[in-house]
Order: sequence, then structure tokens, then C-alpha cells
Amino acid sequence: MLNPYQILKVTQNANKGDIMKAQMLAMKEKKHSLQEIQIAVRQLLDPAKRLAADFMFPSKIKAKRPQKISIEILIEEINLNDIDENTFDSLK
Amino acid sequence: MEVLIILIVFGIIGYFFYQSLPNQKFQKAQSLFEKGNLTDSIIILDEIFDKHPDAPAKLGECKLKQGIQIKLSNENGAIKYFNEVIDLKNRLANRASKIKYNLVEVEAKASFEIAQIKFNNSIALNNKETKIKNLKENLRFIDTLIKIGVESDFTTLKRKHFSELAEINFEFGVQFEKTNKYVEAIQHYSTAKDYSSEATNSIIFYNSSTRTGISKLKNNEFVEVSILDHVIKSPIAYKKDFFFRYAKRLLKEQDYLESEKIISNHLNFSSSAIEKLKDFLKTKKIKDTIEKVNDINTEIDKLYENSFPIDEVKILYENLDKRIEEIETVIPTLTIKLKQIKPSLFNHLLTHYINEEQYGNAIVLIQKFPAFYKSPELLKDLGICCYGYTAQGNLSEKNYRTLISTWLTAVFCDKVILKSLEETSWDDEYTFTLSEAIGSNYQQYNNLPDNVNYDDISDSNISIGATQKELLQQFETLIVKKISDNDFSKTVTDFYNDEKDAIQKIVSVITTDILFAAPFFAKKYGINQDIIDELDNDYETYANEESLQAGLPYIKIITDSSVGKYSKATELVTKLLLAIQNENLIALKSIVDDKEKYLIEEFDTVKDNIENSIYNSFALKIKKDDENEKLIPLMYECIRFTNQNDKLKFQYSSYVADLCIAKVNSDQIGNFKALTLMKYAYLYSIDNPRICKNIITLIRYNLLDIINDKTNEMSNIYQLLDTIKNNRSIIFKRNSNELATARADILKQLEKSGVDISQLTGTYSFNLTPNGEKLKKALTYMSVLSENN
Repeated sequence: MLNPYQILKVTQNANKGDIMKAQMLAMKEKKHSLQEIQIAVRQLLDPAKRLAADFMFPSKIKAKRPQKISIEILIEEINLNDIDENTFDSLK
Repeated sequence: MEVLIILIVFGIIGYFFYQSLPNQKFQKAQSLFEKGNLTDSIIILDEIFDKHPDAPAKLGECKLKQGIQIKLSNENGAIKYFNEVIDLKNRLANRASKIKYNLVEVEAKASFEIAQIKFNNSIALNNKETKIKNLKENLRFIDTLIKIGVESDFTTLKRKHFSELAEINFEFGVQFEKTNKYVEAIQHYSTAKDYSSEATNSIIFYNSSTRTGISKLKNNEFVEVSILDHVIKSPIAYKKDFFFRYAKRLLKEQDYLESEKIISNHLNFSSSAIEKLKDFLKTKKIKDTIEKVNDINTEIDKLYENSFPIDEVKILYENLDKRIEEIETVIPTLTIKLKQIKPSLFNHLLTHYINEEQYGNAIVLIQKFPAFYKSPELLKDLGICCYGYTAQGNLSEKNYRTLISTWLTAVFCDKVILKSLEETSWDDEYTFTLSEAIGSNYQQYNNLPDNVNYDDISDSNISIGATQKELLQQFETLIVKKISDNDFSKTVTDFYNDEKDAIQKIVSVITTDILFAAPFFAKKYGINQDIIDELDNDYETYANEESLQAGLPYIKIITDSSVGKYSKATELVTKLLLAIQNENLIALKSIVDDKEKYLIEEFDTVKDNIENSIYNSFALKIKKDDENEKLIPLMYECIRFTNQNDKLKFQYSSYVADLCIAKVNSDQIGNFKALTLMKYAYLYSIDNPRICKNIITLIRYNLLDIINDKTNEMSNIYQLLDTIKNNRSIIFKRNSNELATARADILKQLEKSGVDISQLTGTYSFNLTPNGEKLKKALTYMSVLSENN
């Protein structure tokens, strides 16, 4: 499926007038064959087919821009030397 | 008288001479030894020491026994005796005595006794240094001794020495450790370990090893990990002491993981000191985790600075799950915030891949997203990527199932199409209807967008179904265009049609709002069971077997669901038809005897279909070869399988009758075989005139063969005829005149040739030869089988 919007160089919100104008320009430009231009026009003027063309444009899932993570945690410092290593002295 | 006196004198002289012989003396000494009179025994043995070969050994035994008897009361006296035993060896003059002396092993036994006394004296000493000195000397003494015969006693004695030495050294070690002289302590523990190893004293061994570890920890020395195995076998107080010090040491060395393991495995009891270790560990972990979060923050900063370079986005995205997992174990409150980063990175990657037409990468990315199929956006994007990947000519044997099944799932999902409406504004002047949408039943959704309805299609109310059909058609055109290989093209097209049919069937049955996935997609992502459950519910509510049929392609593992049972039933039928097709009687019999055959009866569509399926399979076979005897047992089994289905019985009878007539007429089979084959043909269709006529003719042929002595199967023929006789139908009886006529003709001919036929027809037959008896029996069967009552 060729992208009709690309062939006619119109946006996804183009109305009927925009499409007809674009058809004339595309025919003058001769970048695409007459058949390709006609198919593209038919596709965009038929709402059901146009919806099919729109289906082929990717969508994005809902997402926020990546945010930095803020951390608010109080840390209690513990000195290892304060821990008596003879707590469990087995020769006492 | 003088003679008598002389004889007595000679007798006395002879007696004393005899008594003075060494052998007699040894016997006497032996007797005294046994009675416990060691002193007298020793005197005699001493006398004959060089004269009797057993005397030295016995003397040794006496002295050894004497020593043992007094060793508790008179240690020195005992040692004297034991030494005398050993010295005896030096007096031995001849070889025989030496051998016998060695045999009784008195020297080794006496040596052992001496060593034992020395050991007892050593351990009784108070002074530990002297004790060690004496024990070592005694060990050296033992090593010089002959030990033959008492090796194990010596080994035990040596172990006792080592054990004593180990204990003394361990005690020294403890003394040094208590005074903080760790180097000396470790040295003694090491010696104790060595001795305990020789003594096989595991208690001292593990205790010494553990104390070595504790001393090393106290002395800030390195501790080998191998020691841990010994520590766990030491007393609980040692274990606590060691592991507490060790855990603290590991924390100091920043080996937090190992320290945590030690605390959780070996210090799992309540103690404020241990809690402090744990708190220290926790603090450390939090600090490390904060570092990890800061690293992520730095990476995010970099992404913004460099406009999200795709390689860096990918690295962060792919590593994020693992990093979140690590972080959330320490600071779970950060999980939600961290997980929010992922979708944004995902969008960056997906957009990049689709814009760059890297559809393969995009497919992999979406497939890895957890439960992506629940998101209409992702399902749609996956559909687009599958289309794009196919359009690039990448459809292959390996991926066609995934690409096609995914595309169909995306297009059939109404929610995916509705998603497209949200992204454009050209459609604002239209409304859209789901009335003919291919992916839903009537009014499935409660929360439809404002511009979507279920009204009739018009110029302004656009059919979503038409859009879906347009997309399907686009893809169908694409796969035809992109595949040049005819075989692959057929494979792909067949698969596409099967998947599409399957999805259409479930859409037509299921009325709840679930994802209508194509079978391959559903099975791949584990959502097939949801579909099967819905189909099961529908069947239970409406008893609609179409629901079960629709579920068949969705089965991955057969379960106890209704769809599962239906699948088993249809599978049995399929196997049955395959066995017919392959003319495989063994396979067919196993299906007939299958314990799950009852399932077929549970489902009308299977049950009703089976008669025609089997009938048609055989019809096809008969059309190809109408003289194939192999079909007969197959047909018989199928009749059994279908509980005597009339249509199949008729098919069987007609086929067997035709086959028998053709083969008998062309002499390919004999009359008996034909009758055998025809038996069930008749029993299955007793009211069929053609079958009755055929079997009656065969009966006549077989009886004539008996009469004319042309068969060896006489008894088998009568057996068959008995079965038929008991099952004669009205039609059979009406047509049995052929037998009566044949009988009459035979009797007429016999009568004509002068035979007295009265004995052949009457009840009694006194003068018949064996042949006459045979003839009479055949004629009787003709008569009985042609009776009309």
C-alpha cells in the first residue's frame, strides 16, 4: 500500500479541496504515475478507505517525557568500630 | 621271684626314664599352665628350653600371663616379665623353636603391654610439657617394636597418644589466645589439628580449626573461606563468636553480599549487636542504590543534552528493567517513578524504527513489551510493522505465521481501528458505524467514542467494517505480489485463510468484549485459553456446537474443557478416516476400542457427521477398486464403531455380495471363502432380496461341494450354515426354494439310478455307508434351510 498522503503531499487533515489541488500538482510534477495518483485520490476521498490509510500511521503509547528521580531518604550513619566484636566471645 | 623283682626294677627305671623325656615334660608343663600353676610350668619349660621346640613359645606365654596378672598391682614386676618374654628370643637355639616362638606372637604382645603401661604413666602426669615429651617418646618406642598379630591394638594405642597430644596442644592454644598471643595460639591450634587428624578426633579438629579462624580474626589476619565448613561443625558458642567477627570483617572489607549471607544464615537470632550489623548493611545498600538512581538521572540528563541518541536510548531501555529490579528491593517506593521512564524510551525507539522502516526491530521491541496486545496502540503499530516487513519482501517460512496472524488480529480488533479516528481531524464531519464491523458483535462496547455508533451505513455514517475489509484486501494483494514461489505462496495463502476463518468464527459466536485474536497469535501469547473459556461458556448456555468447532484452532494443549472434549471427539473421527484411507486395520481397531469413543456420542455434529464421513470414505475406496478384500474387515470394524449403523451395514452387504459374485464367477475365490465372506453381508441385511438370493446360491454350491467330495471344509460349512439357519429372514425363506429344488433333483437322479432313497429322506438310516451319511446330512440341510416355517 503506497502512502496516499505522500503521493499527494498533503497532511492527514487535508480536506477535499486540498486533495483536489494536490492531485493537479502531483500530475504536473509527474513523480508518480497517473494511476498511482488516481488511486491515492480515490483512497483519500473515500472515508472508509481513508481511515484504512490512516490506520497505517503509527500511534504512540501514553508516556511522559523521562523525568529524573528525586530521592528524599534520611540515612543514619553507623560506625563499624562502635560495634564490639567481642560480643559473643567464646573464651569468656 | 628274682625275675619278678628284676622286672619291677626295670619297670621303675623305665618309668623314670620315660618321665624324663622332653616331650613328657612339656606335656606336664602344659598341664600346669592350664591349671594356672605358672611358676612350676616355667621351671619345667626352662629345663627343656633347648630340648623341645614348643618350650620357648610356651615359656613366653607363661611369662606374659604372669606379667598381665600383676600389672595393676606391680607395674615394675610386670615390665620385668614382659622384658623377659622379649629376651627369650635371644636364647632360641634352633630354627623350629624360632618359628614356633614367632607363631604365638608373644613378643609383640609383651611389647604392647609395656607401651600401654608407658602411655598410662604419661597421661597421669600433671606437667603438660613432660606429658608431651613422654607421649612422643612412647610413640617413637612403639615405632621400633615388632607388632605382628596385634597391629590394630597398636594403632588404637597410637591414636590415643595423638588424641592426648591434640588435646594438650588445643589447651595451650586456648591459654595463648586468652593472653592475646595469637601467633602462638594459632601455632598450637595448628599442631592440635594435625594430631587430631592422626587421631581421627573430629571434635578437636573442628574446634582447633574454628579457634584458628577466631584467632586470625582477632589478629587481623586473612581467613580462608574453606574454614567455614569446619566452623559450622563446632560448638554453638564458637560458631556465634566466629561468624559475628567474620561478618563484621566482611563489612569492613566491603564484601556486603557475603556478609549479608553470613548474617542471614548463621546469625539468625535476636541480638542488638547483630541488629547493628544489619543496620550498617542496610545503610550501605541504600547509599549504593541512591548511587544507582543517580546514575540513571545522569543518563537521562545526557539523553536530553544529546537529543535522545537512539543507541543510548536503547541501552537505557534494555537495562532499565534489571536496574529497577535491583533498586526496588532496597527502595521500593521508587519503583513507580522508575517504571514511568520506560514508555517514553519505548516511544522514542519505536518511532525511530518505524520512521527508518526498521520493521524487524520494531516487531521485536513491541513483542517484548509486557501484554502489548492489551494496548490498541501497540497492536496497531505491530500490525503496521508486520505489513511493512511483508511489503519489504521479508516474508519467510520462519516468520509468515507470526506476521499474518498478527496482522489479522490487529485489523479484526475494532478498538485498533477506533484508535485511528482519534489521531485525525478530517473525519470530524463524519460519524462511523460498527454495524458491519468484522471484529465485533452487535453493541459490544459500552463506552464508544461520540462519533461511533451502531446505526446503518450512509454517506456520512462510515462503515468501519469497510475499512477493515479494505485493509485485509490490501494485505491479501501484498502477499500474492510478494511471493514468487508457488508452493510457499499456497502455504501462506492457506494459512492466511485458515487464520481468517478461525477469527471470523469466534467473532460470530462470542458476545463479550475480548480480544479476537487469530489462533497462532492467541497461542503464541497465551491468550487462547480466554477465548476457549468464552466458547465453553457459550456452549454451556446455548448448546451451540459451532462454538466448539470455532475453538478447535485455538487448542494448544487439550484440557478438560468442552472445546477440549470436542477436539478429542473430532480427532478420533479424523484418525478413523485416516485409518480407512490408509487401509490400516490395526490403527482402526485401536480407535474402535478407544476408551474416549463415548465423547463422539456427546456431540451431535460429530455423531451425525461420522456416518456420512465413513460411508463416503469407503465409497471412494470402492470406486477406485471394487474387488479390494482388505476393505471388508475395515468396514466390519467401522460398523462396530458406529454401533451397527444401518447405512454402513447396507454398504457392507452390497459391497461383499458384489465382490463375492465377481470373484466366484471368475474363480478367484472358492465357494467356502465366498460363503464365509457373505455371512456378515447376509446377517447385516437379512431383508435384502439380492443378498438373500446370493447367499442361498452359495449355500447350494457349498452343499454340492460336500456331496461331490470337493471340499475339506465340511464342518466349517455346517457351522456357518447353522448360524444362517438360526437367522433366516422371511425374504430368505421366500427365496430358499432353490435349495429345495436342488435336493429334489439329487434324489430324483439317485432314484433313477436305482438307489433306495428311503434311508436318505427318512428319520432312520441303518445301512448307510459313510458317503451315504454325508449325502444324507447335506440333503437334510437343503431341506431344513428351505423350510418356510
